[in-house]
Amino acid sequence: MNRRTAITHVAALLGGAFSAPTLLAMQRWENRLPLENFPAELILTENQKQIVAEVAEMIIPKTTTPGAKDAGVPAFIVMMVQDCYKAPEHKSFVEGINNLEKKQFLTLSNEQKTALLKQVETDSAEEMKAYQVQQTKMGDNEDREQMAAQKKGLPYWRLMKELTMLGYFTSEAGIKSSFEYVPIPGKLEMIQMQPNQKSFAY
Amino acid sequence: MNLNLKADKAHTFDAIVVGSGMTGGMAAKELTERGLQVLMIERGREVKHIEDYDTAMKGPWEFEHRGKVSIHSAEEYWANSRFGTLANEETGPFFTDDQKNPYIEKRPFDWIRAYHTGGKSMHWGRQSYRMNKNDFEANAKEGIAIDWPIRYEDLEPWYTHVEKFVGISGQAEGWDVLPDGHYLPAMPMSAPERYFKETMMKKLNRPVTIGRVANLTKPQSWHTDLSRASCQYRSKCSRGCPYGAYYSSLSGSIPAARKTDKLTVLHDTIASEIIYDEKTKKAKGVRVINQNTMAVEEFFAKIVFLNAGSMNTAALLLNSKSNRFPAGLGNDSDQVGRNIMDHHLGVGANATVEGFENDYIFGQRPNALYIPRFRNWGTDKKDFLRGYGYQGGASKTDWKRGITMNGFGASFKEDMSRPGTWTMGFGGFGEILPDPSNRMFLDKEKKDKWGIPMIVFDAAFGENELTMRKDMMASAVEMLEAAGFKDVTGFNRQDTHPGLGIHDMGTARMGKDPKSSVLNKFNQVHDCKNVFVTDGAAMVSSSCVNPSITYMAMTARAADYAVGELKKQNL
Repeated sequence: MNRRTAITHVAALLGGAFSAPTLLAMQRWENRLPLENFPAELILTENQKQIVAEVAEMIIPKTTTPGAKDAGVPAFIVMMVQDCYKAPEHKSFVEGINNLEKKQFLTLSNEQKTALLKQVETDSAEEMKAYQVQQTKMGDNEDREQMAAQKKGLPYWRLMKELTMLGYFTSEAGIKSSFEYVPIPGKLEMIQMQPNQKSFAY
Repeated sequence: MNLNLKADKAHTFDAIVVGSGMTGGMAAKELTERGLQVLMIERGREVKHIEDYDTAMKGPWEFEHRGKVSIHSAEEYWANSRFGTLANEETGPFFTDDQKNPYIEKRPFDWIRAYHTGGKSMHWGRQSYRMNKNDFEANAKEGIAIDWPIRYEDLEPWYTHVEKFVGISGQAEGWDVLPDGHYLPAMPMSAPERYFKETMMKKLNRPVTIGRVANLTKPQSWHTDLSRASCQYRSKCSRGCPYGAYYSSLSGSIPAARKTDKLTVLHDTIASEIIYDEKTKKAKGVRVINQNTMAVEEFFAKIVFLNAGSMNTAALLLNSKSNRFPAGLGNDSDQVGRNIMDHHLGVGANATVEGFENDYIFGQRPNALYIPRFRNWGTDKKDFLRGYGYQGGASKTDWKRGITMNGFGASFKEDMSRPGTWTMGFGGFGEILPDPSNRMFLDKEKKDKWGIPMIVFDAAFGENELTMRKDMMASAVEMLEAAGFKDVTGFNRQDTHPGLGIHDMGTARMGKDPKSSVLNKFNQVHDCKNVFVTDGAAMVSSSCVNPSITYMAMTARAADYAVGELKKQNL
């Protein structure tokens, strides 16, 4: 399903629940990014999509709690690369998938997959040094991560890891099964950690 | 004839307030409570308290991009997105689309706006500090720009007045550099923060306090009368607070003004010009344009308060030309639009804290620590003027630490569900000196879609600010190292511009002499006494403390004076 039909489908599903401005915004979004202008390299084959899903599941596997696939992370990753990153990342993302595809990633045993991803992780740590990642503390307690601008996109592993974790740990299934989810704490207390203390999520 | 009279009457008020943000709301409250019929004009859309806080109660998974800014939004909110991430789906509704509201940059200016009811009070940082005595005297002592026409004592009762109404949580400390106000119970510090506070005093003689923040920790009767409740410690303030726990015009001043039954609010209404009456030598009203229908109307009043935000207030003055004021209302001195100040930021340091493994926090504190200015204070003397304060604090890392760590798989997943180590960091807010060459003006040809001349910015940080920034980073590193923390890393971002502090001010300064200032000591435009400017434009110097509470105090003081003058028939 391409973006245009997806939007139409969603709008129809919701029975016109979208307000006029929202529909206008969607229309504008459509006009701005017609399908033919989508970066071609981001149209993934079925095999490539499976690689995205499999790597995400290797990062956050299903255990006693849901895994990346259960939480809808693979589709989230592709959407995020498309919506929030520009051409350099689109390129490095697809390049990373291609490299795994060349090594027949999907046919490897679990041990082989783990070993291969460890190698990818080690290699991208080297690449990341060029980015000079810097944490910036703004007023009002806001953290921002800043990286030196690079012509080359962020390495594939960094994109996969970040987006898998973001997709999972902010998903409803991920939050509720991983953390103590407290949307309305109601109080602020300095406490002692309990045995097996989970992080609070808000 | 009758019809016209009726129409005129419907368009006539005792006072017009331009803007519904931090100071517009306060002006409307103070004026209506003193019996005036007030028309408030807001250029943006209407936001209704609570019911229009669309994102307030959403779970993280309900935001498509989960807090990240899409390329599409980054293009719409280009000024915001050059550095910040506020144009995300959580807080984006309270920021302004820069593509639809363009401005011109001769030199880069990060102009962050909030065109809707409540203005920037919807997303402010809520930090509320009084300026100190020296802040009002420093210009005169150091021969910088012009002297303030008022002193701390003039504002002192008005600080108390607005602090009580707003509701500020904080700790009185008895320090000259950070005068104490009227506070609700302070929020607690975490264990490493308490350690840090003690160590800084012992080793470096530098005070640290908990932030003074406009979130209700213990609502008083006048807060609950406006249906404002206690903070729930979600720290999702800038989505709009359905509990009314943080102060905004929507939760505080506008409801208070509405209670008097004397407030009329017009939305989508852009003030394009102040109408000057050459005969009476006063302003007689304001010309407005409906932002949707383009309809032009005029409204009339005995007094006009300008609270449109420093840059738009100055633009409105500049666009109000008459025979008497050919260069714009109140611009005899050529100071309107000049002396843009802000607070420079994006400089500080971070560290890892060892120990305190068993300490943790329940709830999200919408607040940080505050380290008041210590530079050029007392016996301290540096190679720059003025100083800076830091905001920051300690927190335990969460799953995000995993992004840059090695590892994946089942045990990694398990590990990420648990809190990590403590980290601590601070970012500075530095004072910017007034400089007439830092300015905004109206473009001679280019107009916006309402036919109003576009604003051009021409401002940059000066030598004093750049020198100060080096010290801001070095001192943050020094303090974190003195505390014995590890991996201390300083940062001094080079890609920030004036405006980013969202404390833009100074474009219609007060002063004693009409030749060098725009406003007198009661915020009246020299030679057009029924026009009051009480937003950040009135500031003569910037101090380094967050300015909103000062603007509000100034507004309440001017409103009280204005009503007194009206009663004496002096206006």
